[in-house]
Amino acid sequence: MNSPLSTRRLFLQKGLALLAAAPTIPTFLDRTMMALADPLDAKRVQQPTGKDGRILVIVQLSGGNDGLNMVIPYADDAYHRVRPSLAHNADTVLKIDNYMGLHPNLAPLKALFDDGKMAVVQGVGYPNPNRSHFRSMDIWQSAAPEIEHPTNGWLGRYFDNSCNGIDPHVGISIGETMPLAMMGQRITPLSFDRPETYRYRGADTKSYLELNQPGEAPATQPATRVGNTRRPAESATEESEMEFLCRTAMDAQLSSDQILRAAGQHKTKAPYPGGEFGNSLRTVAALIAGNLPTRVYYVSLGGFDTHAGERGRHDQLMNQLGLGLSAFNADLREQGNEDRVLVMTFSEFGRRVEQNASGGTDHGAAAPMFIVGGGVRPGVVGRHPSLTDLDRGDLKHNVDFRGVYATLLQNWLQSPSKPILGQQYKLLDLIKA
Amino acid sequence: MARLHLQLRPYEPSSDDPFDSVKAAHLLNRAGIGGTKQEIDKVIEAGPLEAVERLMDFPDEGIEEQDPDGGPDLSAIDGYPRNFREVIRMFKDKSPLERKEFRQQLFKANIQALQQTGMWWLDQMVNGPHPLQEKLTLFWHGHFTTSARDERSAWLMWRQNELLRANAAGNIYQFVRRISRDPAMLDYLNNNQNRKKHPNENYARELMELFTLGIGNYTERDVTEGARAFTGWSHDGEDFVFRKKDHDTGQKTYLGKSGNFDGDDVIDIIFSQRACAPYIVGKLFRFFAYDDPDQYLVESLADVLRDNKFELRPVIKTILTSKAFYSDRAIGAQIKSPVQLLTGTVRLLDVPMPNMPLVFGALSEMGQIPLMPPNVKGWPSGRAWINTSTLLMRYNAGVYLAGGAVPMVRSGLRGGGRAGPTRGGEFQPLAQSSPDELVDHWLKRLIPRPVDDDKRDVLLKLLKTDGVNVSSVRRMVQLIVSMPQYQLC
Repeated sequence: MNSPLSTRRLFLQKGLALLAAAPTIPTFLDRTMMALADPLDAKRVQQPTGKDGRILVIVQLSGGNDGLNMVIPYADDAYHRVRPSLAHNADTVLKIDNYMGLHPNLAPLKALFDDGKMAVVQGVGYPNPNRSHFRSMDIWQSAAPEIEHPTNGWLGRYFDNSCNGIDPHVGISIGETMPLAMMGQRITPLSFDRPETYRYRGADTKSYLELNQPGEAPATQPATRVGNTRRPAESATEESEMEFLCRTAMDAQLSSDQILRAAGQHKTKAPYPGGEFGNSLRTVAALIAGNLPTRVYYVSLGGFDTHAGERGRHDQLMNQLGLGLSAFNADLREQGNEDRVLVMTFSEFGRRVEQNASGGTDHGAAAPMFIVGGGVRPGVVGRHPSLTDLDRGDLKHNVDFRGVYATLLQNWLQSPSKPILGQQYKLLDLIKA
Repeated sequence: MARLHLQLRPYEPSSDDPFDSVKAAHLLNRAGIGGTKQEIDKVIEAGPLEAVERLMDFPDEGIEEQDPDGGPDLSAIDGYPRNFREVIRMFKDKSPLERKEFRQQLFKANIQALQQTGMWWLDQMVNGPHPLQEKLTLFWHGHFTTSARDERSAWLMWRQNELLRANAAGNIYQFVRRISRDPAMLDYLNNNQNRKKHPNENYARELMELFTLGIGNYTERDVTEGARAFTGWSHDGEDFVFRKKDHDTGQKTYLGKSGNFDGDDVIDIIFSQRACAPYIVGKLFRFFAYDDPDQYLVESLADVLRDNKFELRPVIKTILTSKAFYSDRAIGAQIKSPVQLLTGTVRLLDVPMPNMPLVFGALSEMGQIPLMPPNVKGWPSGRAWINTSTLLMRYNAGVYLAGGAVPMVRSGLRGGGRAGPTRGGEFQPLAQSSPDELVDHWLKRLIPRPVDDDKRDVLLKLLKTDGVNVSSVRRMVQLIVSMPQYQLC
């Protein structure tokens, strides 16, 4: 069982040697290094995506997106009744059928829908919905509502189960903090805010790398002889704090070079909206164009907690979402990568059906999800939840979100879902065969 | 009195195992944010017992009790209402537009006061007279977690910070009684919404799960019944208030006992539980010494707490003087928290604290903003501090403090603005000795443990190639704070 550590060390040393030789590494050499994985791992290893593997992009809508004003049941009297100032007029809604349609600002997404590149999953949620932001976000990200304080997420468990541990690029999260969803036990994916800040800023990179190179011997010398408390399990299989830090530093260096290069080289005419969300998607598209071996990207759009004055704010967020996802899709089409990238949107909960006294809505439950990409089986999945048969004023879910995850894991990423989600959920018809 | 676990008995220096600079620096790192050469020498001279007594020589008081002018500058919120009655009075005759404007002003002032409080606290860690008291205050802040997020009042956050400081090494039983009446806490965990008709279980649950017993030592029924006992424990925006009409006076059954319990009764019952003392001392031991202590050690330490009627000082003293504390498993094996890394670097390089946007931005990207723990569990520890992004930020923050490039950070607190263009030019190292002396001086100062020769050679090569001058010494120090060893203490 010493092989994972020693292969990693080998990998890091080879990586370091290459870095010392040249500031950038040709992609084919990268692949060679990736191939140094422990052969015992091979059975469960998914190959780096390279030029043809499938990619999943998660778009988190933080704060609790008002799903009822995203996929709008315009023909339902109950909708207009309970939302006197928040309901969108039927004639402005972008109609999907004779009952419901998309938010007026989602025209760019409606075009994708009409073009057969988008599915809407209706009424997604889970039993006994929690209305706390933190808790419900934990539940969506861990996909383990039974665990009170989860420490890993569904995508992290996917990495653990299906990807080899030597590749730091398997997951990339754009943002200040690593989302729980991406945290695994074995694998630490990458996270960064902006490519240009994701690098070591010291003057002497070569010496820095030498100082962060893992040694063969234990890096800290025994400093004292008091007591006899060294843990017996330590050593061969357990990575020391020093080794862990060295590994992370090497991962950061290898990836920051590649990421900066990919982000700098990518040119696109796709009309991304201004602001953080558009920039994040542009970065992801650049990394995909740069052939990073990343299987899952994670971006966020925040500001959905619309307790008061929802109308203008939510309209503006829908605008960002629609423009962002359609520009992203256009970018991928230019690259020829449209068919290998799938986008999934989610939020920790929807909002209360009835508007409140402040022209906003309070925390709710079930809400729709969007699945976008060339590989999508287009259309509407599931029934729109009833606006009159409610649970404490909130929509009841028809689709368990873990069914969506299971479908994406099995039919898109081609990984078994049961070890990741704990049980076999019913698959949905979301992916083209 | 039970016999003390072997590893908890005092470490006694011997000629084989002297109390050297490695151990003295270890004590100053763990009981504070790190010590200078002079401080390390003083600790060696005092010896391990006397040194700990000096570190523990602080009053069980907040700063304002010790020095009325010693606290943060909260003038930003002067003249703004501090309790709900004043808010209502001020809003009474105002138009909706005026109210909105007033709310925005209050929001801004509150953020400013929070920033002042956070910066003041970091400065207190660097320059204050009682590093161990501040270290413990940070520990309890992560334990009895309350976050200033959700527009929580800066005034209440400051009052809680003082409560944590005054009780940091006091009596944990009294501490829990006080924190259960702390307005910021009651607000954060929604106990002001815990009413007889609609109980809110948030505080009652976390009191057991995170503050005193740990998961597995109570049932869901105990949560529900405990919440009933705490109904009516509320605040008026400024002070604790017991709202009698909201309190449930019925019979409760809690952790196997029955009666008409209130919050204090619940706390009494918690402190009679076998699981309480080990939970608390175990967390303290892990904070100061190392992860995963064996259960006999924790039980033995729990006996110290019980034998001393829940006084924390004897427990802290036992830990900081123990063989375990000075063992290989402890020394140099802890990943510094972002706050310790930043304040410790400021202290050891003897540079001014950078400006607020930069400090909070960097701390935010490293994952620890004082007064804003991420959730009720408080901050993580150990490897959870480290991912590729946070590690680069840790290195870049160190590089900046040692005179290097300004890190690009976002604002860590809303309303904080962008990081100003401050240069790291304040770091002015002496550049008069030989390369060997300079490398050894700075290595010893920043990483007070043996460092492998091949790493030392990398640093030496730089000075030999570039010659000894302020610029090259700066670059050499920038490399030291970019070493994995510097992330550990």
